[in-house]
Amino acid sequence: MIATARVSLTATRTCPDNNKLVAVTTMSPAGCPHVNGFKVDNWKQNLRVIYQCFVWSGSAETRKRKAKSCICHMCGAHLNRLHSCLYCVFFACFAKKHIHEHAKSKRHNLAIDLLYGGIYCFMCQDYIYDKDMEQIAKEEQRKAWKMQGNTVLYRYTCVCVWEKYSTWEPTKRELELLRHNPKRRRITSNCTIGLRGLINLGNTCFMNCIVQALTHTPLLRDFFLSDRHKCEMQSNSCLVCEMSQLFQEFYSGHRSPHIPFRLLHLVWTHARHLAGYEQQDAHEFLIAALDVLHRHCKDDNGKKANNPNHCNCIIDQIFTGGLQSDVTCQVCHGVSTTIDPFWDISLDLPGSSTPFWPLSPGGDGSALNGESHTTGATTLTDCLRRFTRPEHLGSSAKIKCSGCHSYQESTKQLTMKKLPIVACFHLKRFEHSAKLRRKITTYVSFPLELDMTPFMASSKESRMNGQYQQTVDPFNNDNKYSLFAVVNHQGTLESGHYTTFIRQHKDQWFKCDDAIITKASIKDVLDSEGYLLFYHKQFLEYE
Amino acid sequence: MSKESRMRATVNQKLTEMGERERLKELLRAKLTECGWKDQMKAHCKEVIKEKGLEHVTVEDLVLEITPKGRALVPDSVKKELLHRIRAFLAQHAT
Repeated sequence: MIATARVSLTATRTCPDNNKLVAVTTMSPAGCPHVNGFKVDNWKQNLRVIYQCFVWSGSAETRKRKAKSCICHMCGAHLNRLHSCLYCVFFACFAKKHIHEHAKSKRHNLAIDLLYGGIYCFMCQDYIYDKDMEQIAKEEQRKAWKMQGNTVLYRYTCVCVWEKYSTWEPTKRELELLRHNPKRRRITSNCTIGLRGLINLGNTCFMNCIVQALTHTPLLRDFFLSDRHKCEMQSNSCLVCEMSQLFQEFYSGHRSPHIPFRLLHLVWTHARHLAGYEQQDAHEFLIAALDVLHRHCKDDNGKKANNPNHCNCIIDQIFTGGLQSDVTCQVCHGVSTTIDPFWDISLDLPGSSTPFWPLSPGGDGSALNGESHTTGATTLTDCLRRFTRPEHLGSSAKIKCSGCHSYQESTKQLTMKKLPIVACFHLKRFEHSAKLRRKITTYVSFPLELDMTPFMASSKESRMNGQYQQTVDPFNNDNKYSLFAVVNHQGTLESGHYTTFIRQHKDQWFKCDDAIITKASIKDVLDSEGYLLFYHKQFLEYE
Repeated sequence: MSKESRMRATVNQKLTEMGERERLKELLRAKLTECGWKDQMKAHCKEVIKEKGLEHVTVEDLVLEITPKGRALVPDSVKKELLHRIRAFLAQHAT
């Protein structure tokens, strides 16, 4: 098929047959003139069928057909970059030039790559980009992926995306915005964007330290910087909007400290118990802030969440985990299970008035997280083991057993049913019992990387089923976490000061002390006392 | 076709039929992005394009240039994991 093409002589190729220079059209998004010969009759539907059956097979039926028929008609191989002729049913290798032979002999000048769906033109001797065909390709790929979605074995956790990950392509509006705003910021490893001090407005370090942790939570940062909050609140007292503004301030590139007076005012408005100029507890502020953000975010999903436990707002997606509580009756061994959502895990420390059972050294957990007990220091893992150990509830706290129909003694055990993307551990350093109010300053060592597998409900189940030697799957990365922020408290219960260590660019740490930001070493961070520890899941996948 | 290539074809058929091939491809894609392989390849492609000139370079040129390097730079851990998964799959679906 010879098409009269407007040939631009700026591009030449060496024809492999006779080594002569051939003039060809330069590649453009409008495809090539040879493709027009294909675009006749019902070409769109025919092309779709080819994509569905031989490139991206979604259904079991098409997959079977693809498995059987996609082999080279000349040599039988299924490797070597198989291509299908667009004009007839002919599959052949590209690498071995079998498809080239077919194209020449039959004068069928177009073929499709069965691996990636690209269209090759033998006249132009290159892959072509035709807008219409690309559109069809994208749609078919999406369709096939959706069809496969139900049987995906590798569990993908959702982060506001429910389609297969594809590279970002700007919309018309976005292209406009990019053209009108030509200034670009380049993030190098030593750039300090995202770091900004916060002025203390009178004992407000309890708020500042949490703001530093939140503005350096990667997923939260991405959510706000991509403008995903569409506010539906009528008044201007939306805390989510204020958070969004805060992120703009932090990533603006300004180095002067920010004055968060609006944020403080909104916090006083929505969380009355935190109002006033006294020093407050940073942990309480964190929970109150997450709660208000969650409430204000609920408007984001269009439909108001009827069930507060199944909200899909960004706060829930990032911070909410599920804590499983199993109460086992000591008489009939029946287990009653409940699962409660949580935003943080509060851990008792040794030296508190609650009994901290002496734990035997070793055992699962500590070996996994690379800690040794030789130094005698309590570790985060010790605290987690204590948190998830079975607790005998005692004769004064009998539970009504549905199996025995009477009050019986029981044991209770907590485990993690579902881990949040960001896990916050709260070391209970402040004791407010009837007798005393004091701060527990015991040093607790915490790791840079944490594996939560031993504390999962699923691990407990396999232990109960007799699988004591749990084969740790080295390829299961679901429960691995990395430390990214540490909030510390210096001083006493009456007068103290909060600071935060935050992680930037993977391996750089900075200390945020109200308005002053200084570089810190990993040792500084790990040697610090630790009050609130923020860990982020290491591997995230798209759903 | 040799015995080995026949076996390869059978394995490929099974993987394709059960949709496992697509899943493995996605897993591989994620792993190669994670370890920085994709960025390395991208950089190399840019070099090749600069060399040959944007107007003259073809997809074929790029494929020929980066395939050997690409194959060599795949981390052993990724190869190990893929192999492990394929073995596990075949063991599960042995006929």
